[in-house]
Amino acid sequence: MQSYVHVILAGLSSGMFIWLVASGLTLIFGVLGVLNFAHGSFYMLGAYCSFTVLKYLGAGYWAGLLLGPLAVCAAGFVVERFFLRHVYRIALPYQLLLTFAFVLIFDNLVKIVWGGGALSPPSLSFLGGSVPILGRNFPVYNLFIIAVGPAVALLLWALLEKTWYGRIIRAASSDREMAASLGVRVPALFTGVFVFGTWLGALGGGLSVPYVGLLTPGMGETIIIEAFIVAVIGGLGSLKGAFVGALVIGVLSAFGTRFFPAFDMALTFILMGGVLLWRPQGLFGATR
Amino acid sequence: MKAQTRNAVAAAVVLLALCAVPFLSGKFAIYLTMRIMLLGIFAVGYNLLLGQTGLLSFGHGAFYAAGAYGLGLFGVHVSTHPLLGVAAGVAAAVLLALLVGTLCVRHTEIYFAMLTLACGMMAFSFFWNAREITGGDDGLIGIVRAPVSLFGGIRMPIGKDEQFYFFVLFFFALSVWVAHRIRHSPFGLALAGIRENARRSEFAGVPVRRYRLAVFVLSGAFAGLAGSLEALLESNARPFMAHWTHSAEPILVSLLGGLSSLAGPLVGSAIFVAMREIIQRFTENWMLGFGVVLLVIIMGFRGGVVGTLSALFRKATAPGEG
Amino acid sequence: MGEPLLTTQKLSNHFGKVCTALDLDLSFERGVLTSIIGPNGAGKSTLINLLTGHLPVQAGKIRFQGRDITRLPIHKRVRMGICRSFQIVNVFPELTVAQNVMIPVLARAGRSWRPIRSLSRETALMQETEAILEKVALLPERDTPATALSHGDLRLLEVGVALAAAPTLLFLDEPTAGMNPVERVRLLDNIRQIAREGRTTFVVVEHDMDVVFSLSERIIVLHRGEILCDGTPGQVRADAKVREVYLGDDVSDLFRYREE
Repeated sequence: MQSYVHVILAGLSSGMFIWLVASGLTLIFGVLGVLNFAHGSFYMLGAYCSFTVLKYLGAGYWAGLLLGPLAVCAAGFVVERFFLRHVYRIALPYQLLLTFAFVLIFDNLVKIVWGGGALSPPSLSFLGGSVPILGRNFPVYNLFIIAVGPAVALLLWALLEKTWYGRIIRAASSDREMAASLGVRVPALFTGVFVFGTWLGALGGGLSVPYVGLLTPGMGETIIIEAFIVAVIGGLGSLKGAFVGALVIGVLSAFGTRFFPAFDMALTFILMGGVLLWRPQGLFGATR
Repeated sequence: MKAQTRNAVAAAVVLLALCAVPFLSGKFAIYLTMRIMLLGIFAVGYNLLLGQTGLLSFGHGAFYAAGAYGLGLFGVHVSTHPLLGVAAGVAAAVLLALLVGTLCVRHTEIYFAMLTLACGMMAFSFFWNAREITGGDDGLIGIVRAPVSLFGGIRMPIGKDEQFYFFVLFFFALSVWVAHRIRHSPFGLALAGIRENARRSEFAGVPVRRYRLAVFVLSGAFAGLAGSLEALLESNARPFMAHWTHSAEPILVSLLGGLSSLAGPLVGSAIFVAMREIIQRFTENWMLGFGVVLLVIIMGFRGGVVGTLSALFRKATAPGEG
Repeated sequence: MGEPLLTTQKLSNHFGKVCTALDLDLSFERGVLTSIIGPNGAGKSTLINLLTGHLPVQAGKIRFQGRDITRLPIHKRVRMGICRSFQIVNVFPELTVAQNVMIPVLARAGRSWRPIRSLSRETALMQETEAILEKVALLPERDTPATALSHGDLRLLEVGVALAAAPTLLFLDEPTAGMNPVERVRLLDNIRQIAREGRTTFVVVEHDMDVVFSLSERIIVLHRGEILCDGTPGQVRADAKVREVYLGDDVSDLFRYREE
């Protein structure tokens, strides 16, 4: 019993990271129609920038969490405003490959700036330590993450459903031309949404610093695949789907790692294949 | 007919140059040219799927790996005859492509890309985890280059790189010729129609899904051929061949050279391999440069190297109009 | 005339709460040029989509030359002889005019699967392609990419591609939309001539009353998914229900043709 609960909790916390990355990915896809391969790189940059603030500016953890992702937003702005914006109307392969080009660029920039080796961040004092759950210790920070995930979900839901700004975003995403003719400055809106999505991904990266304990230039690649799978399973463009998908994948992966280590990697892919065969548009996706 | 003869002449020149390489250059250049040809086979087959039919698959590395492991396992357990090994590798790739294709082809665009990505990574995971069969992350070892024995008692040794080179060249020329014929066939035109307008193709009486599956399997066969040749070249097969970053190579290379021509993927392969070798001497981060090149191409030169050059050539030789 | 080409039995379709087709019982005879008219939202496009396989049938049956085709996929219906053109030009953009028309020609001849044979060797089929291009007066443009054509030529190509599948029954969805009067006359003459040759039966969806009344032998009027009137142009003109539905400008158009 105890190990099951711990596995579930571990799965929930890793799932929440995937949710944070997938939320930005889904938002960007839902509004702009672009699948951003470089989103994993923003996650990675978020982690590295927060780490830098922590270590070199000597500021506290919260300062790192605040400033790091903001720095990454600048990168997101440049990518959308000067590059992505010009390829919206072109065929899908070119869009995907453009974002892939940025993956190559960012991954290597990180290696140049921060070195190719792994970095270990200083340990956390505030949210550090662990609490006993059912007789075994579980890190406090992970519980914190399990709380942050739904908080972000709630924030996004409130933003999109309850605010005037959110209504405009929803309108522009379903009909670009109509929104423009109603006076919405669609290009600026798209840039804003892309930067916000980037911020979400980078925030995930910043939050991951104490969690993973080690920063490597490859960390973007692994999480982007998981975020893709989650987004596809949930239905591309559906935030609700991404949240549910992240929970499911997180918990299932945790069970997989713990009880079936041989199938670890394949499990998530098999699940995605299964879902798509049953419902080609994902769990909550729109039927085209 | 002028363009046709011009292309035929160019092809003949390239073929002759390729034949001359082992006699005119050192070991490293021979090896490099073989790697270019292998990537060229992979890419030219892949471009039948992407450039001709408009389907973006992120999992073709799985078929490359199937070719490599197919040949390797055949060689270790059955026979080391190279031609049979290649046939086994291609057969393995075709079977896998049939399976994956049937699953994926009913989806379009993004979901197709994601599903093929997933299938590729599942294959990667299988090759990585099935240690007893595939050797796991150490790769499959013990692959040898036995002499090619044909009817009439002819035995052609391919142990040395200079000899194996012609084995590779033979399959390279064959692949390019087959790809060329397909592009200019009724099937090729139907594929182009599917790329341009799949819905209209249905209404023209073209069985779209069936043709998509056919070209998927065909491009998988090319990938399997390249994979089995690499297994012979490097004497091993590695799980990484199925990883999505390897699957991305024919995509990048075709885009670099130009999606709409036969020569595009080949030119792209040459540039890619050459760039990697040269720049890797100076810095570990050569992929950064490649990313920048990719960016430049997508933003302004979507025809790729070949497309941009032929457009310039046409403008230069145009009869003095504005 | 013998057995009708196409019949429907209680064909129905709805999108959510909106009914676009209600228990339609129709039959189309060989050689009778029919027009389908009706105000916006009457269900004209839905009907064509259902008959050609673009939209899956929710209720009812469709029979073509005696065979039940209700569940048949699009490309099989095309092989049987039912084809359509589109309201918004829907051709193969980067291919040349000749290539556009050749695709259906090859498919119909069962030759589109051949992967090694060179296209240039298919001389018989190339001649057939050129014959079709001549019928729609596009032969001089055979090597022009579709993206470089004028709007009028594009609409001709649209019909050409549909014709190339050698259909027995061809549905044209607003073929003259956006054309200028000269182009319109040319297209109508082409349609009349091809119809006279007898191999293709046309069913045309149109808004333009000129086209409808000068071309058709039979007019079907749809309204809110139901058949309001079905008969000769004279019968339709005289029908009280039709007049009621077409209140306004269109009514005067209808009456104008009394003087024909």
